[in-house]
Amino acid sequence: MLPLSLLNAAQNKPMLVELKNGETFNGHLVNCDNFMNITLREVYQTNPEGDRFWKLKECYIRGSTIKYLRVPDPLLDLVKDEQTRAREAGRSARGGPGGGRGTYTNHVVWANTLTRFCYLRQRGATKRARCGAWWANTWRERAWTWRLKTTLYTSCVVRISSSSCGSSFCL
Amino acid sequence: MDSLIPFTTSGSLVDCVDRKMLVVLRDGRKLQGVLRSYDQFANLVLEDTVERIYHQDVFAELKRGLFLIRGENVVLLGEIDLDQEDDVPLRQVDWAVLEPYHRQEIIDKKHRDEAKAQILYERKGFCKEGGEGDGY
Repeated sequence: MLPLSLLNAAQNKPMLVELKNGETFNGHLVNCDNFMNITLREVYQTNPEGDRFWKLKECYIRGSTIKYLRVPDPLLDLVKDEQTRAREAGRSARGGPGGGRGTYTNHVVWANTLTRFCYLRQRGATKRARCGAWWANTWRERAWTWRLKTTLYTSCVVRISSSSCGSSFCL
Repeated sequence: MDSLIPFTTSGSLVDCVDRKMLVVLRDGRKLQGVLRSYDQFANLVLEDTVERIYHQDVFAELKRGLFLIRGENVVLLGEIDLDQEDDVPLRQVDWAVLEPYHRQEIIDKKHRDEAKAQILYERKGFCKEGGEGDGY
């Protein structure tokens, strides 16, 4: 993950900012932007020699004056977990194309697509069968559709249940 | 020509990610840590960073944690060979012991550099540094 996204994810976390002139600011990050300009609250400012201290309620630091920022160690893992969680939530939420009712899981998506696929095939078939043997063709079509739906659905349900959650069922 | 550095794309730090790197900053600090990420400004995220100070044949370390370094403050980045990193011919001591010596060294260096810059300016017309105060 990018350095600035790590910074964005560190909002409300304590950190130490050292400026180019050696001053240090210890405080909680309020906000930051793409220029690395930051606002901190509950700040303890120290001069470069380390012998003078100030307490500031809030401060704004221009990004160009920053030398580095020190953040708590667990932050990196925390942010990575948040990212993976957000990605998985986005993937499952994205799985319901139109008319989302309740929770859309991967096999509902599959069933929808299969139904649509079968319907389109059936439509094509019925169009072809319009001239001659109409009944026989559509019956065959219906039987095929039902068979296809059942086989494909059961096979993908088996696949879903055997593989881990969040496997890539991209459509 | 010995080293033929293969150019994959333009110069990038992608080969340095998740490797232990030595970073020298413009203020002279030497940090060692695992490079986790970077961006187009070469801002760096360094994990499990250790700051080292050296004096003659002795060194000291201090654990510093997770760093986000602004790219413009970096002088150089070097990969640390994990096989050879313990082979240094230097003795390790406590940080508190070595720090006063290190601080004195910095002050001495600053005086020397200022004297040099002054002489170059007076005798040869070299411009003095614009207050960037690089300590490396």
